[in-house]
Amino acid sequence: MRKGIWQEFDGYKEIADEIELSFEAGKERSFDRQLADQYLGRLHPKELKLRVVDVIEETPSTKTLRLAPVDALLPPFLAGQYIPLFAEIDGIRTSRPYSISSQPKQTGFYDITVRRVPDGLVSNFLMDQVKVGDLLDSAGPQGNFNFNPLYHDRHMVCFAGGSGITPFMSMIREIVECGLDREVTLIYGNRHLDDVIFHPELESIAQRFDNITFIPVIEKPAKTYSGACGFINAALIQEVLGDMQDKTFFLCGPQGMYDFCLPELESLGVAKRKIRKEMYGPPVDICDYPGWPSGINPDKNFQVTILDGKTIPVNAGTPLLVSLEKEGIVPPSICRSGECSMCRVKVLSGKVFQPAGTPVRKSDTRFGYVHSCVSYPLEDLEIML
Amino acid sequence: MDYDVVVIGAGNGGLTASATLARKGQKVLLLERHNIPGGCATSFCRGRFEFEVALHQLSGLGTPEKPGPLRMTLGSLGVMENLEFVEIQDLYSVYMPDGFTTCLKPDKNQTIAELKEKFPHEKEAIDNFFDLVYTYANDMIGAFIFRDPEPSRDKYPNLYRYALRNAKEVLDDYFKDPLLKTVISVYWGYLGVSTDQLSFAYLAMLLFQYIEFKPFHVKGGSQALSNAILNVFLTAGGRARFNCGAKRILVEDNQVIGVETDQGDTIETRYVVANISPMETYTNLVGKDLIPNNTLQEMNSRILSNSAFTMFIGFDCEPDELNIRESTNFLMASTDISRSLHDRMGRVDIQDELMVMSCYDISDPTFSPPGTCQINLVTLKYGDPWLTIPPGQYHEAKFRCAESMLKRTEKIFPNIRKHIEEIDIGTPLTHMRYLGHPAGAVYGFESRTKDSFFFQPGNRSPVDGLTFAGGWVGDQGFEPTLRSGVSAAKSILRQMNS
Ligand SMILES: Cc1cc2nc3c(=O)[nH]c(=O)nc-3n(C[C@H](O)[C@H](O)[C@H](O)COP(=O)(O)OP(=O)(O)OC[C@H]3O[C@@H](n4cnc5c(N)ncnc54)[C@H](O)[C@@H]3O)c2cc1C
Ligand SMILES: Cc1cc2nc3c(=O)[nH]c(=O)nc-3n(C[C@H](O)[C@H](O)[C@H](O)COP(=O)(O)OP(=O)(O)OC[C@H]3O[C@@H](n4cnc5c(N)ncnc54)[C@H](O)[C@@H]3O)c2cc1C
Ligand code: FES
Repeated sequence: MRKGIWQEFDGYKEIADEIELSFEAGKERSFDRQLADQYLGRLHPKELKLRVVDVIEETPSTKTLRLAPVDALLPPFLAGQYIPLFAEIDGIRTSRPYSISSQPKQTGFYDITVRRVPDGLVSNFLMDQVKVGDLLDSAGPQGNFNFNPLYHDRHMVCFAGGSGITPFMSMIREIVECGLDREVTLIYGNRHLDDVIFHPELESIAQRFDNITFIPVIEKPAKTYSGACGFINAALIQEVLGDMQDKTFFLCGPQGMYDFCLPELESLGVAKRKIRKEMYGPPVDICDYPGWPSGINPDKNFQVTILDGKTIPVNAGTPLLVSLEKEGIVPPSICRSGECSMCRVKVLSGKVFQPAGTPVRKSDTRFGYVHSCVSYPLEDLEIML
Repeated sequence: MDYDVVVIGAGNGGLTASATLARKGQKVLLLERHNIPGGCATSFCRGRFEFEVALHQLSGLGTPEKPGPLRMTLGSLGVMENLEFVEIQDLYSVYMPDGFTTCLKPDKNQTIAELKEKFPHEKEAIDNFFDLVYTYANDMIGAFIFRDPEPSRDKYPNLYRYALRNAKEVLDDYFKDPLLKTVISVYWGYLGVSTDQLSFAYLAMLLFQYIEFKPFHVKGGSQALSNAILNVFLTAGGRARFNCGAKRILVEDNQVIGVETDQGDTIETRYVVANISPMETYTNLVGKDLIPNNTLQEMNSRILSNSAFTMFIGFDCEPDELNIRESTNFLMASTDISRSLHDRMGRVDIQDELMVMSCYDISDPTFSPPGTCQINLVTLKYGDPWLTIPPGQYHEAKFRCAESMLKRTEKIFPNIRKHIEEIDIGTPLTHMRYLGHPAGAVYGFESRTKDSFFFQPGNRSPVDGLTFAGGWVGDQGFEPTLRSGVSAAKSILRQMNS
């Protein structure tokens, strides 16, 4: 074809003039990237350095760490969101998510409230080693466990278990301190009375504010205890709420609480769309999880070979992500609950167990990708990071 | 040499470039900042839903009996066996605030009949307009697709007359009814410039393509497409590194010699495919000093396109309970097709802009889990104004805009709010963050008539070994960007052989 036949098209002259003009008027845009990066850095920083400015003992097994920014403003967050905390402990680089328990309008610091998990790597480090003045690495707040004004009811019913109180603490503090027009019924389960985190503060808030109701539920109470006991069940929910209309339900706690409470809510006729759950880490004992193949012992050893990389020993009962981190291989991770897909790896050969319902994209499943934070080796594997 | 070619960015263009090169025996490394391939062509999960990010209607695929250009491209890449395409049964519906609606079908005669029924006073004009669209498209195909060595005004009269006219002028010439003009031109929303600046050629080709080759979607969404192409690439021996961006392109004596990653290592190579913007490539990766002035001037003469504000909504019921009957719905607030429509994209707030609502479950009932459905509700917005919102007010702005969008949608589909199970919202800042493109632009440079097909600079760069792929150096959209990667790969293979 002849070059530039469009020069013969009707209207070419005008377009040519316009092009010439735009060459002269053109604007240099090379700063755009910097501007955007700066802005996004204030919203979703990839790295956020925090200094421990206070350590507050909440219960014998729980501490609040008050974290102030080192060289930047703290990014805004929605009550209910968490931050990933990075740490290097005994030579292992890893991270764990912690919900922010302070309220979002309090922009000077983030509180995180940590409960000791027996044999837990990071919780024990945070409880025992970290002191005022220490620096911690984090990243911008994340997560979708927040009140959504577009479709959530103004009456929130919150079920917390143990350290699962933290996101609700942030929400309740925001509501009372900012005078928001919302109502909360908090039903908070714990094993013993002295495990109840924020007990005095919650009681005092409930006394002072009509729109906040606080019901502690103690699984194993002392004989003299007169409050609600046992598990959070349908009868209790019914008694506290009366009817289920115009309420949105929020759950945050250990897997056992979901397994028990969700059917109870269903039996009360609460629609699925009215229930929000925070995923709170991998199942504590994967071998008890529905679908785990019988006959595979959690201690069983396998090998994982990484494409173009090394071969490492793993065992069946440990999430693949954790085994990789132990060997100095650190795939990015944020939620460590199977939700965010950051830790996605491709399994080239071999089988893993991934709990049913893990939100993996359909085509990822089809091409062998798994979320390594909730994937457990059932055979020798070959993977691609 | 570590690799024959390094491809920067795993968007549509980067993926097809990588796959084509690897299948031709080249040693290729694909670098992607994000942890997943696709760029715009991706999805994410919330609750029980997997939300589609970008794809509303795939163009240019065609049926097996009457294949379009995209089917041939994907076929030659060997990805078709891993994909299941779903034909969308409607072209689009338009909803007006006064209750007017019309649903057009991807069939010329049915579309003309429907328009004539709704606009009996414009019967003749409708026939004439579609004649023009079709003869224009045939001229274009004859001259440019089949590369006629001797094109002339006699052979292609409508090409010569209409290729450089803007769409609004042509619509004004043909029609009187402003509503009809609005209905026929809603596809400007897929191109990002309002009809007064849009080239008629683009509007005509888009209508022609969607009607002749039918609109499609793909099972598993656009992520399935991205994953399938990546899979072909890996199977052919290609290597991909995710969570690893390119930081610099190293150049010596005007020749690419390597790429430095943001993890700090350097990869030797003599060829790079950049599936990212020329701005990012020239100013941040190569360095402006090494780029001739006229190239920079050309780049600066173009205007960055809009970004988008998108709501992803999952419902706990089937579409018919929401009264959603068609896949692709344009929700319009007025019959204004003038410049002011375009200006609205420069405001943060949402009031009366064009909105597209796609419900994938209509054509593919397996798209969302049984008993549920999802919509993707999008409007075009420039990115810059979002950078003026104080970060502390970002969430509030996001919810405020989403509320306006939902209110407008509710007027037409009153049941939607009470069935919402999941919502996520993407703002122009979300696009900046995930794509890394300046101003969160989702359509590359704006495609005004002066930037159309004929005047685009093409995929070559002044640096030896550096070639572009994707929407920044050609037309936007799935079909053009997927094909652009193949062209970039072929261009590199030619350079290697010469
Ligand atoms: C979104 C999100 C928010 C969170 N917010 C908080 C918070 O505000 N406060 C808080 O204390 N924790 C919170 N967690 C839990 C926290 O991230 C860690 O999982 C917890 O501190 C244990 O980490 P570890 O390193 O000590 O234990 P690991 O070394 O990871 O685990 C040791 C053992 O304990 C089990 N285990 C892991 N997590 C738990 C758990 N939560 N309860 C019981 N057993 C467990 C493991 O399966 C393993 O068997 C949150 C988790 C998520 C996903
Ligand atoms: C909301 C929306 C709706 C759309 N609807 C449609 C539709 O219905 N039909 C249609 O045909 N088209 C549609 N499009 C357009 C289509 O999605 C795009 O034109 C196409 O996907 C762009 O492909 P691309 O090759 O230009 O790459 P992009 O998708 O732009 O990808 C670029 C990639 O480069 C990566 N990257 C950036 N910087 C670096 C770096 N330094 N190092 C490494 N990697 C880097 C990015 O992470 C990204 O993955 C839509 C787009 C959007 C956003
Ligand atoms: S870290 Fe979020 S899915 Fe694994």
